[in-house]
Amino acid sequence: MTAVLTPKDFATATPSWWCPGCGDYGVLSALKSALADLGKNPKDVAFVSGIGCSGKISGYLHSYAFHGVHGRALPVATAVKLANKELTVIAAGGDGDGYAIGAGHFIHAVRRNPDVTYIVMDNQTYGLTKGQSSPTSQTGYVTGTSPNGHPEAPMNGLVVALAAGATFLARGFSAHPKLLVELLKQAISHKGFSIVEVESPCVTYNKINTYAWFKENTFYLDETYDPTDKVAAFKMLINEGKMPLGIFYREDRATLEDLANKAATPVVKQSLNGDMKRFASIQEQYR
Amino acid sequence: MIVNSIEIMFGGQAGDGSLTTGDLIAGVFKRMGLEVYTYKDFPSRIRGGHTNYVIRAQQRENYGMADMVDCLVAFDLEAVEAHIEEMRPGGFVIFDNTSEQIPDDVRRADINWYEIPLAKIAKDELKAEIVRNTISLGVLGALIGMDPEVMHGEVAALWKRKGDKVVEMNVGAVIAGERYVKEHFAERPSGYSLTKGVDGERLLMMGNDAIAYGALVGGCRFMAGYPITPATDILEWMAKYLPQHGGVAVQAEDELSAINMTLGAAFTGARAMTATSGPGLSLMTEAIGLAGVLEIPVVIVECARAGPSTGMPTKTEQSNLNHIIFGGHGEIPKAVISPGTVEESFYFGALAFNLAEKYQMPIFLLTEQALCQSKATLPLLEFGALEIDRGKLIGHNGHSNGNGHGKVVFGEYKRFAHTDDGVSPRVIPGVEGGMHLAAGSEHNDAGVITENVKNRAKMMEKRMRKLESMREDLPKGNIFGDPSAEVAIIGWGANRGPIVEALDRLAAAGTKTRFLQMRTLWPFPEDEVRDFIKGAKHVFVVENNFTGQLDRLIRVVVGPLEYMHSVRKYNGRAFRPIEIIEPIERALSSTVLART
Repeated sequence: MTAVLTPKDFATATPSWWCPGCGDYGVLSALKSALADLGKNPKDVAFVSGIGCSGKISGYLHSYAFHGVHGRALPVATAVKLANKELTVIAAGGDGDGYAIGAGHFIHAVRRNPDVTYIVMDNQTYGLTKGQSSPTSQTGYVTGTSPNGHPEAPMNGLVVALAAGATFLARGFSAHPKLLVELLKQAISHKGFSIVEVESPCVTYNKINTYAWFKENTFYLDETYDPTDKVAAFKMLINEGKMPLGIFYREDRATLEDLANKAATPVVKQSLNGDMKRFASIQEQYR
Repeated sequence: MIVNSIEIMFGGQAGDGSLTTGDLIAGVFKRMGLEVYTYKDFPSRIRGGHTNYVIRAQQRENYGMADMVDCLVAFDLEAVEAHIEEMRPGGFVIFDNTSEQIPDDVRRADINWYEIPLAKIAKDELKAEIVRNTISLGVLGALIGMDPEVMHGEVAALWKRKGDKVVEMNVGAVIAGERYVKEHFAERPSGYSLTKGVDGERLLMMGNDAIAYGALVGGCRFMAGYPITPATDILEWMAKYLPQHGGVAVQAEDELSAINMTLGAAFTGARAMTATSGPGLSLMTEAIGLAGVLEIPVVIVECARAGPSTGMPTKTEQSNLNHIIFGGHGEIPKAVISPGTVEESFYFGALAFNLAEKYQMPIFLLTEQALCQSKATLPLLEFGALEIDRGKLIGHNGHSNGNGHGKVVFGEYKRFAHTDDGVSPRVIPGVEGGMHLAAGSEHNDAGVITENVKNRAKMMEKRMRKLESMREDLPKGNIFGDPSAEVAIIGWGANRGPIVEALDRLAAAGTKTRFLQMRTLWPFPEDEVRDFIKGAKHVFVVENNFTGQLDRLIRVVVGPLEYMHSVRKYNGRAFRPIEIIEPIERALSSTVLART
């Protein structure tokens, strides 16, 4: 591929299942733009998604896409990168997929730091099962599974990630495409595990965290904010006021694939055929 | 005098060194040219609790325990009390009487007792309490007339990497044991003799090591696993060797992650595996269904242990057959192969990857604690016979090893294309033109998600058709004994050893039998079983579980037989031959079948 790429190069012919007005359209569109701007070739992009409305996204991005089981996008994505470090590996899923059923993997993916970008499409609800509370739902949110108001406190995934050793943390808003494209480009370019939590409103089931609510209750970090200061990042993320958007933290740390496999050639490009006898010496220790 | 046949049990508290001592004597016996099998019967804890390690050595093929123990090396009284009933009349006990004495009610009169203050000798003579076990080796060697040079050489080799001082101390301990026997028991022979033979071109290897080794040679370059007894050895082996061969081994955060990592690496084009035991398999079951519907080649090693739940993690059982075959929601093609010896474990470790890639499905390699954590002697491995067949893989240019080369044109290429054998050409990320969605949701031949009724039926048929296409490539069972015998025995896995031995002994006593060691358990080899039992008047199915899982599968295929008997053991321990012989003799004596 020599021509300049456009977002259309990452489009599939599959019509979307999302409701009109769903925040996930903004995420998909920003991701296509980011990949095009970065000059990525669809054949070298592996895109892994979980289950839920957000998980559908893998069907709409022209790439090597993997739509697995609920909550397990990160183990799959981690292994894709380990098997072929030449690929651009992106995982995406919702707040339920990443912070509920997949929460265990989330922490360990962060800790391992593979060069994978993880997009958490946060709508504070379970959409595909028709509106139940999620790990990021606000206390009091009334749904079919919380008819008397959600009795739990919401989880702050980015704080958890920072504590677990995240090397890139950002939050965007799906209705702010330009800024979201920029966040995604920086995340994908980051060598290490990068998390972009995108506030992606559910227009059907979440009448609290609406587009209007996010516009009212968010603000962008300004130039005075230092994203290399971990303590500042903690303070910003646990701040109880309006929800901050932008890049909270970044640091350089060796990636999992570089530490686990010193060979320059990716695992999948090693030749398997050839002289079987090279393995024979191993049996000497069993003599 | 019993010559060149002995079963020794080392018993004591976990952490006492029974395992190290047993491994050492196993190595010595192998060097003496004997066939060796070891069986670990240890508790699920690191220190304390009774543990024992059985080492059997004889001249004939040897893949299991004998009926009874010939020699018990007991480091405490508990070991004697726990196992005195298992001892063969005429056998002998080596007992450390430094701090405990044998009570009269335990002291069987038909056993030779060698009570020796092992700990005291270690402390007083060798100034090292730690060498108590090594002294017992000297005692044992002297009592069974072993060549001291072989013993000293092995002991020196074992401790070589710890330095000359440690070697000297341990060889000294062996000599102290030998001297004690000469001084105190010169007039009391044990009745056993092991003569030095020739160690041919042979290996002594554990089943798990053989599986891992076979997998590496078979092209496995990625493994993700989570520590679980009795499968952990495989992950440890791979963690050592995969990086030396350009691969990666990952210790995942749980089995959910381990299997999903395995899928991710396989999707990307690496030959990938995981290894687990029952509880881990329970967690992996959902993603194995995903591998089936995504047609991703993955190898899952199941090292079965006694369940359910935590069960008895270090004990053997064959109770996961149903889970492996029938576990999971929905229906997918999968195959289950099961080795019966350490040698087969190696070749199946390699074969599993060819099957997985050729038929693009999950392949189970089913083994169990009594085999996978046992060591046995085997001939040198044949590497020339192994070939890697990646089936319809379309890989990176010049690197694919696949035979599905050719230009992939986007729009024309269909990842799940319908074919006669059900297997579609498979691309991996990085290949130009092959971009597609691999979705656990039902999809069409191009990978697009759809719930179309005709498509659903057609895709189910395509995937399941692979079970028929693969039949010829699946390992056939091994048949032993007299093919015309009226008594037929069927079993799998570690039970091969005790069944073959039972076969020979039944024949010697006048009862001819035949034995089918099944090596493919799914897709169920209906013809093989049907052909095997043709003409049999009695069919005995031998298995380590309560419900007779294989027995029931066979009944589904062959229908109820008048004389179909289920021989089951479910106490966590492997079969001894007599436990197979006796039920067969009982059943035959209560029926009209004449002994020939």
